[in-house]
Amino acid sequence: MKKSNIIRILYHAGSFLLSVFALSVLVFTISRLAPRDPLYAYYGERVEKMSVEEQEQARERLGLNASVPVQYMRWLACALHGDFGISYQYKTDVKEVLAARVGNTLLLGGMSFALIFVLALWLGLFCAWREERLTDRLICRIGTVTSCIPEFWLSLLFILLFAVWLGWLPGSGAYSVGKEGSAADRAVHLILPLTVVVLGHLWYYAFQVRNRLLEEVRADYVLLARMKGLSGKQVLRRHCLRSTMPSYLSMMAVAFPHILGGTYVVELVFSYPGIGTLAYESARYKDYNLLMVISLLTGITVIFCNMLAQGINERLDPRMRAQSKVGRGEAGGV
Amino acid sequence: MDVLRVENLSVSFYRPEGEIEAVKNVSFSLGEGEILAIMGESGCGKSVLCKSILKLLPDIAKRKAGGIFIRGEEITDYSEKQMQKLRGSFFSMVFQNPMTALHPCLSVGAQIGEAVRLRQPHLTPGERKRRVEELMELAGLEHPGACARQYPFQLSGGMAQRCVIAIALAAEPAVLFADEATTALDVTVQSQILELFLKLRKKTGMSIVLVTHNPGVAARAADRAALMKEGELTRIGDVEEIFEEIKHHQNFISCG
Repeated sequence: MKKSNIIRILYHAGSFLLSVFALSVLVFTISRLAPRDPLYAYYGERVEKMSVEEQEQARERLGLNASVPVQYMRWLACALHGDFGISYQYKTDVKEVLAARVGNTLLLGGMSFALIFVLALWLGLFCAWREERLTDRLICRIGTVTSCIPEFWLSLLFILLFAVWLGWLPGSGAYSVGKEGSAADRAVHLILPLTVVVLGHLWYYAFQVRNRLLEEVRADYVLLARMKGLSGKQVLRRHCLRSTMPSYLSMMAVAFPHILGGTYVVELVFSYPGIGTLAYESARYKDYNLLMVISLLTGITVIFCNMLAQGINERLDPRMRAQSKVGRGEAGGV
Repeated sequence: MDVLRVENLSVSFYRPEGEIEAVKNVSFSLGEGEILAIMGESGCGKSVLCKSILKLLPDIAKRKAGGIFIRGEEITDYSEKQMQKLRGSFFSMVFQNPMTALHPCLSVGAQIGEAVRLRQPHLTPGERKRRVEELMELAGLEHPGACARQYPFQLSGGMAQRCVIAIALAAEPAVLFADEATTALDVTVQSQILELFLKLRKKTGMSIVLVTHNPGVAARAADRAALMKEGELTRIGDVEEIFEEIKHHQNFISCG
């Protein structure tokens, strides 16, 4: 491996670790600034009946009586060994709590992302091709409306319409009781939350694709491409799309955590047993250890996706590739 | 027989503010292997004239009247599909700014290769690569193999324009439109490109429409020249004749 490549990888790994460290300090401090006693998460209403000594003992046992920096150092030391503590609320290892839910969120988030990725590209391409014609204008109007509707409200509307009134689809949960293993049952439960997440995000990205393509359509190279004998549609697909692809891919890399964040809200409304519901509960009940792990996990996804976006741009756009080479002092005679 | 004949062509842009007549009642003909310079100030309708012949104008522009003929056959009402075939084979065009005319994210080899593939779809990838290098050599590019791997931003203006010319040559056109093809280049490169046009005309026998606002360019390369003013073709004839007239006109202005 070339020396410059090793330095590059080390640089990226270093900035990644530093970002994660800063994030952990921030989340740790902020969560401890919030009011409400974390003992409530562990003991529930029983806290009110405990004497002051008992409360002190409980705090001592849970490691909550030390100062915040000391608590953080303890947490960090354990975390580096892979021990993230127990969830106060579920009273088991946070990793186990998380493992039971993470699959559901990844399923919902991953499918939403894949759908948005493909549909936004297709819709953007279609609208750019039909620029300012009736279909384009109609889709633009509908898209603006759907992307403006808050997700929680759309979720409630869908539950009311399809689950309560029409009774076609289940309005909550990830599976029916007793049918945990049935893929069909899980798929049916996914339809409504999936639709809400996709509708909430789709138009924003499709609109970006449409506008980027329309900028490209007006570029000079389009005329040259048409002079070669390509049709307008071929130019759009082969040339304009090619030059918007690097920015689209990097935009979608950043979009991944954003869409995942969207599923958190939707999960909550649909009582879908995923990370989103868990994050909300852990913040509400001050389940510190769980909150830390979820925040870190989400943060790591965001940081990783941002770095991926930058990497994609550098790989796919020859101009940026050359620039980053110059930056590292590798430029050949051009 | 004339390779291209335009009769009483009028083109207008229809904007919300009203109609703008860009080309008014223009007629000219282009002989086999002839170089015709179309001269005029910027905005006089030279480019619109070329693009309207090629049907490359935006939707708001409409041909109001007139006819276009190639080798005696009328193409005025050709469909987009028919025009598409002509653009890749009968007509070709070189643009003013080669840096924006080339796709920024594709290597020039790939861009010339695409034009070759459209014109000669039966070629194998190896044959196509050889044809690309042949065209690049024809356009006066040295080391075509290495140059084909470069991206437009890595080339100088002159080299990029030669790549655009190579793309145009891939079509093996009968008529080449050079729309201000030397304007964005510095003087020495300008004359090299003009030399190249003359050489190519000799070699391939194609006709060239040289659109320019620079009388010097027209004088060096053209057989005949046409003067355009506010959308109208005011004068067409021998280059020397036209130049006498311009000189006279300029003297007249400077004497004032």
